[in-house]
Amino acid sequence: MNAIILSAVLGVVMMFSSVFVKNKSALKHIAAAGLLVLLIANIADTYGCSLFKIDLHNMLRFDKFGLFFNTIGIGATLIYVVLSGRDIEKSGNYVAEYFALIFFVLCGLTLLTSFGNLLMLFIGIEILSIPLYILTGSDKRNLKSNEAAIKYFLMGSFSTGIMLMGIALIYGGTGSFQLEVVRSVFASYKGVSFLEIAGLLFLLVAMAFKVSAAPFHFWTPDVYDGAPSVFTSFMATVVKAAAFVAFIRLFDARVTETSAAVDWKMLFSILIISTLLIGNITAVFQQSVKRMLAYSSIAQAGFMLFALFSLNDMAKEGLLLYAAAYSLATIGIFAILIKMKDVSFEGYNGLAKTQPLLAATNTIFLLSLAGIPLTAGFFAKYYMLASVIKTGSYTWLVIFAVLFAAVSAYYYFRVIQAMYFKNGEAQTDTITPGFKAGMVIVAAIIVIVGILPQTILNWFYF
Amino acid sequence: MIPVLLILIPIVAGLVSFFLKNEKAAKGWSVIASLVTLAVSLAGVYEQNAAALHADAAWLPTLGSRFTLHLDGMAKMLTLLTGISMPLVVVSTIKNDYRNAGNFYGLLLWLQAGLMGVFVSADCLLFYFFWELALIPAYFLCSGWGGEKRIPVTFKFFVYTFLGSLLMLVGILFLYFKTPDHSFAIASFYKLNLTPAEQSFGFWLFFIAFAIKMPVFPFHTWQPDTYEQSPTAVTMLLSGVMVKMGLYGVIRWILPVFPAAVVRFDHIVIILCVIGILYASLIAIKQDDIKRLVAYSSIAHIGLMCAAIFSSQQVGMQGVMVQMFNHGVNVIGLWIVVDAIEQNQGTRKFSELGGLAQKAPGLAILFVIMAFANIALPLTNAFVGEFMMFNGLFRYNGWMAGIAGISIILAAVYTLGMVQKIFYGNTVAATENAVDSDFSVKLMLAILVVVIVVLGVYPQPMLQLTNDTVHSVLTKIHSF
Amino acid sequence: MHITGLLLDAPQANTAANYLPIALQLLFALGFVATMMIVTHLLGPKRKTADKLATFTSGIETHGNARTPMAIKYFLVAILFVLFDVEVIFFYPYAVNFRALGWSGFYSVLMFVGFFIVGFFYIIKKGALVWED
Repeated sequence: MNAIILSAVLGVVMMFSSVFVKNKSALKHIAAAGLLVLLIANIADTYGCSLFKIDLHNMLRFDKFGLFFNTIGIGATLIYVVLSGRDIEKSGNYVAEYFALIFFVLCGLTLLTSFGNLLMLFIGIEILSIPLYILTGSDKRNLKSNEAAIKYFLMGSFSTGIMLMGIALIYGGTGSFQLEVVRSVFASYKGVSFLEIAGLLFLLVAMAFKVSAAPFHFWTPDVYDGAPSVFTSFMATVVKAAAFVAFIRLFDARVTETSAAVDWKMLFSILIISTLLIGNITAVFQQSVKRMLAYSSIAQAGFMLFALFSLNDMAKEGLLLYAAAYSLATIGIFAILIKMKDVSFEGYNGLAKTQPLLAATNTIFLLSLAGIPLTAGFFAKYYMLASVIKTGSYTWLVIFAVLFAAVSAYYYFRVIQAMYFKNGEAQTDTITPGFKAGMVIVAAIIVIVGILPQTILNWFYF
Repeated sequence: MIPVLLILIPIVAGLVSFFLKNEKAAKGWSVIASLVTLAVSLAGVYEQNAAALHADAAWLPTLGSRFTLHLDGMAKMLTLLTGISMPLVVVSTIKNDYRNAGNFYGLLLWLQAGLMGVFVSADCLLFYFFWELALIPAYFLCSGWGGEKRIPVTFKFFVYTFLGSLLMLVGILFLYFKTPDHSFAIASFYKLNLTPAEQSFGFWLFFIAFAIKMPVFPFHTWQPDTYEQSPTAVTMLLSGVMVKMGLYGVIRWILPVFPAAVVRFDHIVIILCVIGILYASLIAIKQDDIKRLVAYSSIAHIGLMCAAIFSSQQVGMQGVMVQMFNHGVNVIGLWIVVDAIEQNQGTRKFSELGGLAQKAPGLAILFVIMAFANIALPLTNAFVGEFMMFNGLFRYNGWMAGIAGISIILAAVYTLGMVQKIFYGNTVAATENAVDSDFSVKLMLAILVVVIVVLGVYPQPMLQLTNDTVHSVLTKIHSF
Repeated sequence: MHITGLLLDAPQANTAANYLPIALQLLFALGFVATMMIVTHLLGPKRKTADKLATFTSGIETHGNARTPMAIKYFLVAILFVLFDVEVIFFYPYAVNFRALGWSGFYSVLMFVGFFIVGFFYIIKKGALVWED
């Protein structure tokens, strides 16, 4: 509860800081401080210290899983603001509003991690999405940004419409919006109810759209490419992970395992296969690192879908770990990408000579995304694969995924090859020592989690 | 304690080396570090106290993985090989000019740490970690300091091995969930009771990873290109030690964990190996580049070792143990000569070389001994190993042994052809003004020659050292 | 009749079948619209002249392009008007249940109004209602 209320209030505070704070560069410090407060408040909430006591009528249900995820999401946003705050400043005239919108996104995120009612899911998704439509189009003078925004808005509202339809059908079938009631109905139903199955399928489509799983991924590359890079970084990481948490909350094991009318495992494996296939294969052919990262985010979504496929304890832990590892690495890569003058692969040529530290940290991030051991990304992938093998069937799916993990190495290593082994003079903006320090810290976190994942995993068991 | 030191010393030394900006300092530092590691690995061979050969610490309790290291006979032998090769590699290439020397030697030391870790880890997840840790520095070394076509070639190498190791990861996870106590410990894996179908499944997942690393035909295509394009110092470690990772993996993980599958599929593997042996030998004859010739000759030798492993005969297995060490020593010797020639003459093409014996007699003598060892003439170390391996293979199937035996003749053809083309005949443009190679190169070669002859005459210590591993592995297989 | 029986039973049971009246109504509505459109299209006389096809603007001849850029202020005011207009809609149910909701209802509405005042303040401060530049 702390995080929901505080993030909304802090968003309003950020809005007003545009009125009262005339010094633009102070805004990112205010935002960082606000995020820190939010982080601390959420951690306090996790350990039983809630500032607000409100009777929620089960509209929201707080559990450890959701609260941990809040911590990861808010922490990643804090790192994002610290690393890229200066670039958010440069991206337009309404700096304070951008920060305010980021806080509102976090408000949507915290709703999504704790919804106990389908209406709350809808509201959470909307609160999460609407600020993003604005952020996507924040580069007003750029046609691509405008195109991306309108595309994102139209497709996003369409998918929200499908989601509402699904919720309505489920309400028609079960007579309730409450997640608990819906679950118990699904778990107890003897015969097949067309309404509920259809409703759940609609919800599946809408959620697959939000996490950009193929074949509902078409908006992703255009939007990620068109949006200003700073905001792409945020959308591709924290927001996507939040949508995944909502997804796994909705598609609880009790919902999917008992409704035998639909082979959910098969459905999810089709989603996974097409997502991995499209994401990885198209990423191979990209010429721009930014667009490659957009497709790679689709491919990574394919791996995260494994959590929904297996729906066991390992899957839930793994999703948290994956969200953290993926978000950190991608935020780091984007932070460097924003500094680059040329975001094509050639633009990275020879970065190791001009900026050895950035190249080294970027390498760690890329290795983490590729899932090489000694980085957090390895354990993330490890958990996903293990969760499927633990179910004891569908081992072929794992082998398929592994093949595509090898394909993904191709495009991640292209960046490494450009930085280290190709000749060129990579141009960057001025790099401050603070930025370098931030990158080193993020890289260090990734390596430490990669060697001793226990540091994060210990949170899950206590 | 010893296994921990074997990993820790190179890692720390490598980390220090990254901060050494001075080329001389980096070289000196890596010589010292590799000699210290060699001393530790020698201590491991002679250490009798079991506690010193074992290390165990909590690592990932929730995942069922522990930081367990253990040195048995085979591990001792291979760590000794790794320990010996590193100073040989560094000293024999000490005159070579590597830009960013600090980084180069740092990565080289990390590669050594990864290799050591693979050989000593007694926990499957840990084994996987080191398996990959050995790959990443090798990739950066080859791509950063290699030849002209290094980027696509080494990337092929990387993707091949990465794909193999990912398949192995699936296999590891598959076995992990079959263990009753959900543990990655080698003991739990050895106690597994798998159905034949499960054994076959796991067998292939593991075997492809190891087959790519060795490499066994038809997974060998990365190898000649990579050896050719890599800087020679790295090629030495790759061919001398890293390919042993594949053989080691088969003996350590496949044979004891999937005995039924081994019995079921051994003929397929041996046929692949025999094809590979002949194929590589024939191609080697036609090569014009010394590096490629040695690369193909290495495929042939490794293929024979792999076939001997799968013949599951005691004498063959012992031969493999001896030969793993010998092959490492011999092939490093060959590479040292290749590097000396390349550095002095500026070419590796047979067509541009000839008559070098007149100008560099010392090098020629040492190289001819190396060549004899490569053909496995009696009195050289390789003879012992090859003889035992053929013996084992013959007991398994006479036809296979006979066909593979052709490779002995082919080996003589290409190796002696190489000697002839480089060292004999009239001098040509490239060798006109040649001088004999440096003292450091000759010293290293002389040391290798001593090892070759001593082990050729008296292989008993090597056989005794690895006896325990051979025995325990074969009892497991023969119980089926 | 079977269908009549279903229609009569509809209020008692809660199955998919008792959506039949709704389905029938939907069908009827769609059919009615479609029929009307097709029939008028077929029956009506058609005389197409340039004058008839031109956009009718109060008898004045059209000129210029409809897609000329307009000052953003118009939109801004319109949007803000809608926003605050909706607020009034929320007041109505509160006003009806004023007594029943008691003090807690009063606090809720106070919070609601508070948010709107904050928003209003923000709008004023950002100069959204300043007409002259």
